[in-house]
Formats: sequence, structure tokens, C-alpha cells
Amino acid sequence: MLTNLEQLDNGVVWRIPGGIHPPEQKHLSNQTAIGTLPLDEYYYVPVPQVGEQASMAVAVGDHVLKGQPLTHGLNQHHLPVHAPTSGVIKAIEPRPSNHASGLPVNTCVIQADGKDSWVDLQSASLETLSNDDIVARVQAAGVAGMGGAAFPSHIKLSPASDIELVIINAVECEPYITSDDRLMREHADKIISGMEIIHQVLTPQRIIVGIEDNKPEAADALRKALSASKLPAGVARVTVVPTKYPSGGEKQLIQLLTGKEVPSGAIPAQLGILVHNVGTCAAISDAVLQGKPLIERVVTVTGGNVAQPGNYWMPIGTRVDHVLKCCGFNPEADQKVIIGGPMMGYTLPLIQVPVIKGTNCVLVPSSAEMSVDAKELSCIRCTECAQACPASLLPQQLYWHSKSGDYDKASDYNLRDCIECGCCSYVCPSDIPLVEYFRVAKSAIRNANEEKLKSERAKQKFEAKQARLEEEKRQREAKAKEAAERRQSNMSGGDKDAIAAALARVQAKKAVSAATPEAGADRKDKVADAVARAKARKAAQAAQSDSPAPEQNQANDAQKDKVAAAIARAKARKAAMQSDNEAEVDTNQTSAASSQKDKVAAAIARAKAKKEALKQALQAEAPTDSDNKSADEAADTLEPKADDRQARIAAAVARAKAKKAAAKDAGVNDPKGQIPEQNSVDSIAQSDPGELSAEEAKKARVAAAVAKAKAKKAAQQAGDSKSTVEDTQAESAEPKPEVELTAEEAKKARVAAAIAKAKAKKAAQQAGEGQGSDAHMQKQPADVNSAEPDSNSEPADVKPEAEPSAEEAKKARVAAAIAKAKAKKAARQDGEAQRPDNAAPLNDERSEAMSPDTDQSEQAPAQSAEEIKKARIAAAIAKAKAKKAAKDAEDKE
Amino acid sequence: MTTIITAVVLLTLLALVFGVILGFAAQKFKVEGNPIVDQLEATLPQTQCGQCGYPGCRPYAEAISNGEKINRCPPGGTATMEKLAELMGVDPEPVAAVEEEPVKKVAVIREEECIGCTKCIQACPVDAILGSGKMMHTVIAADCTGCDLCVEPCPVDCIDMVPVQTDLRNWDWKLKGLETIPVKFVEEEKSC
Repeated sequence: MLTNLEQLDNGVVWRIPGGIHPPEQKHLSNQTAIGTLPLDEYYYVPVPQVGEQASMAVAVGDHVLKGQPLTHGLNQHHLPVHAPTSGVIKAIEPRPSNHASGLPVNTCVIQADGKDSWVDLQSASLETLSNDDIVARVQAAGVAGMGGAAFPSHIKLSPASDIELVIINAVECEPYITSDDRLMREHADKIISGMEIIHQVLTPQRIIVGIEDNKPEAADALRKALSASKLPAGVARVTVVPTKYPSGGEKQLIQLLTGKEVPSGAIPAQLGILVHNVGTCAAISDAVLQGKPLIERVVTVTGGNVAQPGNYWMPIGTRVDHVLKCCGFNPEADQKVIIGGPMMGYTLPLIQVPVIKGTNCVLVPSSAEMSVDAKELSCIRCTECAQACPASLLPQQLYWHSKSGDYDKASDYNLRDCIECGCCSYVCPSDIPLVEYFRVAKSAIRNANEEKLKSERAKQKFEAKQARLEEEKRQREAKAKEAAERRQSNMSGGDKDAIAAALARVQAKKAVSAATPEAGADRKDKVADAVARAKARKAAQAAQSDSPAPEQNQANDAQKDKVAAAIARAKARKAAMQSDNEAEVDTNQTSAASSQKDKVAAAIARAKAKKEALKQALQAEAPTDSDNKSADEAADTLEPKADDRQARIAAAVARAKAKKAAAKDAGVNDPKGQIPEQNSVDSIAQSDPGELSAEEAKKARVAAAVAKAKAKKAAQQAGDSKSTVEDTQAESAEPKPEVELTAEEAKKARVAAAIAKAKAKKAAQQAGEGQGSDAHMQKQPADVNSAEPDSNSEPADVKPEAEPSAEEAKKARVAAAIAKAKAKKAARQDGEAQRPDNAAPLNDERSEAMSPDTDQSEQAPAQSAEEIKKARIAAAIAKAKAKKAAKDAEDKE
Repeated sequence: MTTIITAVVLLTLLALVFGVILGFAAQKFKVEGNPIVDQLEATLPQTQCGQCGYPGCRPYAEAISNGEKINRCPPGGTATMEKLAELMGVDPEPVAAVEEEPVKKVAVIREEECIGCTKCIQACPVDAILGSGKMMHTVIAADCTGCDLCVEPCPVDCIDMVPVQTDLRNWDWKLKGLETIPVKFVEEEKSC
């Protein structure tokens, strides 16, 4: 048993399946030496890689020299294209291609200048070059496979796997083509030199030249050149193979020389075998040793319709029509021009196309050589084609499936292994153009595969987009949620303000009851004073509510807010002691969200307050005030602190009684006076839960006491008017009425005070405040609710206070709503009659007190610690003024 | 009597054993989703154009598996419809309102007219349009499925649907027609 190498060395030739023996027409063109053609005027050099792996190195109008590269690229797959002659670039545009389709391809049109002058070529000796240098020079020269496929040679020279055997393909099995034959005969040394270079790069164990036995001269020339070569002895040999078409196919030649079959879908390199064409070897030699780019090749021009058939050196880009013209083309009607051989070539749709690197033959057969177009008959299943097939396929099955468009089934019969050699068509007794069917099927399958890949990619991209949209949506939602949470927390920050405002309001309400008795001789002054303070407070308030939402989240801002709130509370408390006017003012202020609104509302409120104060001053009744107040205070101090809740319950009960009483007294007492008072009492009761701190709780008690006192008064009034006294007293006894009832001596006085208050309220009502209390009432529930979630400022007190009040507050609200409705009606009735009274001159002191406040509310939006400080200073000034005024008033008294 | 009892017991045991095995197998080898949907989807052209009335090819595949008509895919044409019919085991129906062989098209933006509104980008189901706000947009032709969805939203009508250019790569021998090189070698002249 011989080893593979020994078999190779012995020149063993294996059998290949199939194959045909078409009659040869090589004698037409192989009798004469390789000629040259006269220079053409234009050369069309296709630059198909431009735009993908390469870009143009020249521009239209540039003058180029012969061998100058037209493209440059850094890509490994870039195959440079060179100018075939010297001349000027006339155009770079799509031109018909040398292809079966004739489709336009990007082409560089060079107008020859006739000088055909070369660029400087860098020759080199093989000894000085490294393998990488060699491969680089091969690439720079743009050497491509010259057997027809035009695969870049530099890629073949740098394979991934070890190459054990290099086969030089000198078979040239096509019946008409003789270009390799002539090249071998005339340039065998160049071919052997190319083999030396390949040997140096790949260091294969053997280099075998495969040549058909119909080219003995060429084989002799090669042997002679080989014996003179520098290749190590025994490495290279020429093996003559029998003439058989298609021995020149790459896979067939490998099988012929080694007995190995290249697996389906594999390349020969996987077997450690590399196949190069003889023409490529010569081109590699030129490229490496002389630095000469691949700009010309040997092309066979043959067929019955050329006068001078033969082989010619043709610059790449020479137009086929020029070639034919030079060779004495004598076209017939319906002349076919075939590129390549009759077996595997293709007809050109038009002949103004260039010769390219893979063009080895231009065939113009005469009608004598052509058979009449035989009619395609039905397949008779003779299996001639299967016997002829060199790839051991079943052409009749492939034909069946290809014709019916069942390409999947055709694929199952390994259609892709078809080399389109045309043997099956040649032997077919029914003249079926089998290869054409297979080409159609192959391109359809290729397109279908591309479609599939593309649709797969489209699907992936679609899914990616969907996923992205989903993700974006999710993020948006998360963001919205986050924003909502932030808003929530801002709200609770704002709630603090609202709470502070509510507290202030409550305190002001308390003042409603407190201020009336106070309204003595210095009433006017005090009211003015209170107004000033209220404004200062309001300014502080505005400053608070102005602070931007996100800032309130921050700790120091919250701190500020609390400070401001505390200030506001403190002020409000003071103000509440002295005036009942501010309740409505407050309401207006806090119901407005922005500082702008605040300011406007404040201005309105100020005007109203002024009017009202004036009226109250006129209507106030002095004598019972002090008594009443002392009674209230006594009640307040009597109550232990733990009794807040009871106090409120009492207050609520009292309110209920008062309501009843009021309802009953409607005929007896002045309802217009009574109802507004009810209103205010209700309001106080509702705002009770809003009080959060210990001080506030205290205040609440005060307010509750006041309310109770009022209720008592109302009850008294009811009693006076012969109503059901027992009922109301029994009810009021339930919670803890005893404490309040101790102040019996003040009862009468309080009755008087109540009357006075009622009158004052009436006045207030007349001044158009009915709506204010309405707004107030609506605001209260919101305040109560918002107070609950806010655990920041006063955690402990919130819940115990808020819970018991809920039911009562509801009741109270119902009552208040009724009262309000009545009050509104009354106000409407009385408004017209008494309005003229309202117009009153401004008090000097008040206007003075107001001025810092106005400043304050303007500066409020700045919202800083300094601003708060200023507000405090202003408030202090206002207070001082108010005190002075009060003192003056006392002195006067 | 004992034989009957034995038989009953044995059969019951057998039934239990096989029941357990079958139940285990049903859990272990459970097929997620409907496999026919994947096959149908693979048949559809994945243009994601929505011409079938469903938002993408997968939803239409799901609809077909639930009994939707198979002739709703204009980009797929008759060939796709026939494949769908075969998969679903229903009779082929003519594809609704479409020419026999749909021409493959690709969107092209007349770039000098583009105002950079990004509307087409949002409309493109396969992200084949490149651009950004107030910048010129362009179509990545390799990714374009020719679904027409970008044409409608364009406020300046600068998007054209042009047939895909045939080049040497996607050229089909069919276009050339069945044409042999009838060079027959004058065999008669030579005696073999």
C-alpha cells in the first residue's frame, strides 16, 4: 500500500465519476503565439468594491499611469484595481458589466493617452521578502484567480490551516480555450517562478501540476522549466491526466490527483489542499518579483466568426467589441458572443463590456458550429445525465423539482453541489437545458435564503423595537409614579403650610369671640393693630407657600418651613387674641395656591377687614366685654390639659344646642345676628383637629371654651324666649359642662356680649363677608384631612385630636351649611340697605402698620431665611405700633 | 373470584402507573405555546407592515392559528398564502386586493426635503430609519422591509417606495430566461 505522497510522486491518477468527451476545437486558437492588440481608445475598468471595501483613489479628470492603483482600501478582502494603460479618467459611473445579466456596475472609464507609460515598479528578489511581504505584494498587485472565478489570491495564500498539497491547475478542459496552453508553452518559467513563491509562502509537501494529455507541448515546457527551478527536488512534479471534461473543475482535479473527495459545502483547504491556476501563478510571479500589478491577461479569441482566432494579451478593461474588431469579427445575424467556453460560459447581452480578470475566452461561434435550437422534450428518465454528472448528483430529480419550483426538494437532492458544468445538458437526449434550470433554481434558493435571513433580521429588529418601546413605557410609568410620589411628598410639605394657615385661622376664629368683649374704647386701635399683625403673618405665610416644591423636600427647607410656620402660628395666636376679622382674611389667603393669588387675595381681605373694623368700632358695646373675657379665660384655665377632647365634645354638643336654640329663636332673636355667629363657632369646631402642638391644643381648648360659652349664651337666649331649656341643658351636661357653668355670674354679661358680637357679625356679613365664611367652611375639611398624613411637624397630637372630631365635624358642617345658607340670604337682604355704611376712611395707624406688610408680601417669593427674618422684624414693628396704639387708647380712657 | 379480583387490582395498578408516567411526561415535555404559530410566523415575510390588520407578523400568525383567514398578507403574495394554506390544512384563497407577484420595494427618503420630524422613525417597525430631531433622516436599505408604514406619517411626503434595484448579487437567472448556449461541436466531422 502506497502512501498518499508516494502515489502523488508516482503520478497516480484516480477516476472521477461522470464526465464527457466533447470534441475539441483547441486547434483553432493554439497554433499561434500570444499576440497583443492595438491600444483601444477607452478602457472600462470595473470597480465593484468601491463603496464597500474600497474607495476611489483617483477622481474624474485625473491622469493615471499604467499600473497605477485606482482604488484603495484597508479591508482584507479588498482587491485593488489598476489602470491598464496611461490616460485620463473620463468617468466613474455604472456601465454594463461583463456578466450574464449585463447589469450596470460601477466602472472607471479611462481614456488612453496612447503612451502606455508605466508607473515605477518596485521589483524585489524572493530571498529578501518575508511571507507577509509576499502576500502584501500579491494583494497590492490585485492578483485574482484567473481560472474564471477571480477569487483574490492573497486570501488563498494566507489560509487558516496547514496546506500539504498545492495543485496547479493546468487542465483547461473546455473544448475551445487555449489561453493556459499558450501561456504554459511561452511562459513556463514564470509559472514555475510563481510556484516557487507559493512554495515559499505555504511550504506544502508537494506541488503537483495537473495537465491534460491533449497539451503535450505545454507539459514538456513545464517539465523543462521545473527541472531548472530552485524548487527542492521531488517537491514538484507535472502529472498528466487523461482528457475528460470537466477534469479542470477544482473538486474534480483534486479527486483526480489524490482520490479524495471534497465534502459537500467544504473547501479544499479543509483537506490541506490548495488549487491555483497556472495563469495565477504567472501573475503572482509578476506581482512579487517585478511588482507588476495584474493589468493584463491572456484571452483566447476563437470561434468560426473571427478571422484571426488566437490568444492575446489583453489589458483588463479592454472592451469586447474592440477585441472582436481587432480580430476580424464577422458577425452573423443573431450572433452570440460567449464569454468562457461553450460548456460553462455565458452569452453577453451586449458587447460593449470590458474584459475582466476572470475572462479567459471570447467565443464567437459560427452558425455551422451551433446546432439549431433544439426543442425541449420531456424527460424520459434515461439517467444519462446522472451517469454524466461529475458530482454524482441526480440531474433528472433536480430537474423535476426545479421545474416545478419545489426548491426545497431540489435542495434535498444537493443542488448546491452542482458545478454547472453542463455535462447533463450535453448528454440529454431530450435536449433539456438542465443546467439552465439548475441555475434558476440555485439563484432562487439563494434569494430565498437571503430573504429568510433578512426577514429573520427584520423580526429581530422588530422584537428589539417592541422590547425597547416596552422598556420605555415601563420607565415612563416608573418616572410618572416617582413624580407622583414626589408631588405627594411636596404636597405634604405644602400641607405644613396649609396646617399653619389652618392654625392661624383657628386662632383668628378664637379671636372672633375674644375680640368682641375686648372691643372697648381702644377697640379701633386694637383692630388696626391686629390687622397689621395678621398681615405680617400673612407675609410669612406667603413666603412659606412660595417655596418651590422640590426644595421643601430637603431637610433645611423643611426646617425653614417649620420655623416660618411657627412664626406664623405665634403671630396668628397674638392676632387671634384681639381681632375676629382675620378669620376671613386667612381663609382667602390660604385658599389661594400661588403667592400671586395670595397677594391679590390679601389685598381684598385687607380692604374688607378695614371696612369691617370700622364698622365694628362703631357698633361695639363696652360694658360686658371684660367680664365675658375673664369668664372665658377662667373656663379655659379650669380645664385640665388632658380634657381637650372632652372640651371639644362639649363644644360640639354646645354647638348642636346653639343650633337648636337658634332655630327656635328664629322668631324671637335677630336671626341675622345669630347665624353668623353659629357659623364661626362651627368653623372653630371644625378646625380644631388642625391644631397640632401642645400650644395649639391649648388654643383649641380656648376656642372650645369660647364656643361653649357662646352656646351657653345661645341657650340662655333660648331659655329667655321660653324654649326647651331642660333638653339643651341635659345634653350639655353629658360631656363636661360643669366647669363652664361655674361662670354663671358672667352669664348675663355674656348675653350682652353675644348680642354685641351678633351685631358685629351682622356688620361683617353686610360688608360682604358671608362668602368668606363659606369659603372657609369648604376649606376646613381639606385641612383636617391633610393634617392627618403629615407626621412631620407634630406627630403625637394629630391622631387623638382628629379622630373624635370626625363625626362631630360632620354634624357641625351640616349645621354650618344650613347656617351659612341662612346667613347668605340675610346678608343679601341686608347688604343693599347697609352698604353705604361700609365706606369709611382709613385709619392712619393701620395704614402705617400695613406698609411693611405690603413690602413683605412682595418680597415673599424670594423665600429665604433673610426674608423670614425681615418678615419677623416687620411683624415686630407692626406689633410694637399696635401696642403703642393700644397704650395710647388706654391712656386716653 | 380471586382471578377477577387480581385482574381488577392489576389493571388498576397498571392504570395508576401509566397515569403517573403520562402525567409526568405531560409536565416534563410540555410544549410551550402553539408550535403551529412558529411555523406560520416563519412562513410570513416579516415585513411587520400591519397590512393584515394585526400589529406585526407574529400576531397575524397567532390569529391564523385561531382561525383567521390566510389571505391577508399582501407582501407575502400568493406563494406565502399557499404555504399558509398547506400548514393550516385549508383551501388556498386568492390574496385580498393585491397583484399577483408583490414587487419588493424599499423606502427612500428624498433627503433634501426631509425636515427631520422623526415621525417616520417612530413608524418604522424595524428601526430601519436613521436620523434625529431636525436632522436629515435616511433609510438603511438593507434593513427596510418595504412595509410602507413610514410613507403615511411623513408631513412633507418625501418618502418614496422604489423597487429594489437588481444588482449582480441578487440577479436571478430566471430573468434571462432559459437560454442554452447551443454550441454543438461538429461531432460528425470527427471520427471518434
